[in-house]
Amino acid sequence: MMTEESQGPATMVFIGDPLTGCGMTVGTAGLFPEGPDVQERILTGSADKPELIDELLTVIGDQDESRALLCQKAGLMADEMLENALYAAPRDSSGACLFSKGHPRRLLPMEQIRLRYSYDGARLALEVRDSWGTLTAAQVFSFLAINTATAAPDPERAGRGLFFMWRLLDQFYVNIRPGRETVVGGCLQLRPAPVDATTP
Amino acid sequence: MEQTFKVAYTQEPQRTSFLFHGNIDAHADRHLEDVVRQASSPTVQLDFSNVGRINSMGIALLLRTIKSLKSEKQAEVQISGLNQMNSMLFKMTGIFLMARELGA
Repeated sequence: MMTEESQGPATMVFIGDPLTGCGMTVGTAGLFPEGPDVQERILTGSADKPELIDELLTVIGDQDESRALLCQKAGLMADEMLENALYAAPRDSSGACLFSKGHPRRLLPMEQIRLRYSYDGARLALEVRDSWGTLTAAQVFSFLAINTATAAPDPERAGRGLFFMWRLLDQFYVNIRPGRETVVGGCLQLRPAPVDATTP
Repeated sequence: MEQTFKVAYTQEPQRTSFLFHGNIDAHADRHLEDVVRQASSPTVQLDFSNVGRINSMGIALLLRTIKSLKSEKQAEVQISGLNQMNSMLFKMTGIFLMARELGA
């Protein structure tokens, strides 16, 4: 029997050159559904995060077990994407983080973070873009490799948020335009809850 | 609704039980440090029945807490009350290699 976990990591689409880390000027057309149902929210600061996640979960609803699991996944994915945009993306010229996780912050005057989502009752598409473009392709692959290589517990391991996205999303994409923009997104399918997701 | 993280604990001769409430993320840091300070029994039970979301920062803090409970307090750590999502995350990150899930 397939369990939620045994479905394996998402199909990953990396838009950009994985060797040089240079992004290409290819958009995410086709990866994120366009249309009137797409909702877009612009953040003003970290205080917007809980409200936006609540909005997303309200749209999905948790009236049965499958939707409840989709809500749990969607909440985590939105949380990770927004945390990355708020705290991991902003960096100074030496590459040091400008803000620490857990500290409330407002967006800088020229900074933009946008959340987009679309839910048709069976599939949730979710995407967050920041205006930094500081993530590199090498980092993405390194984070996924480090977290895949060993299940040994290590509190200091980096890139766990991206690893969760890769493992839990049904499709996962990253689009980097260095110094300009990072877009991280993917989709989640509503599927019948497994009978016992903990059975190997 | 955003759930502020809180911890309630009960002390028995052989076991200290901590009941977590809310989402576990960077804001849980200080509370989880208190868990290590307050644990004083050979067995420590962490109850996640009232926990919502645990993000990657929350997982890192839990790994650090369980490591400290085992190394500083020589405690056996038991886990209970996980929802489906959090159970998957614990498997993916090796938490079950450090702490036993009750009833599993």
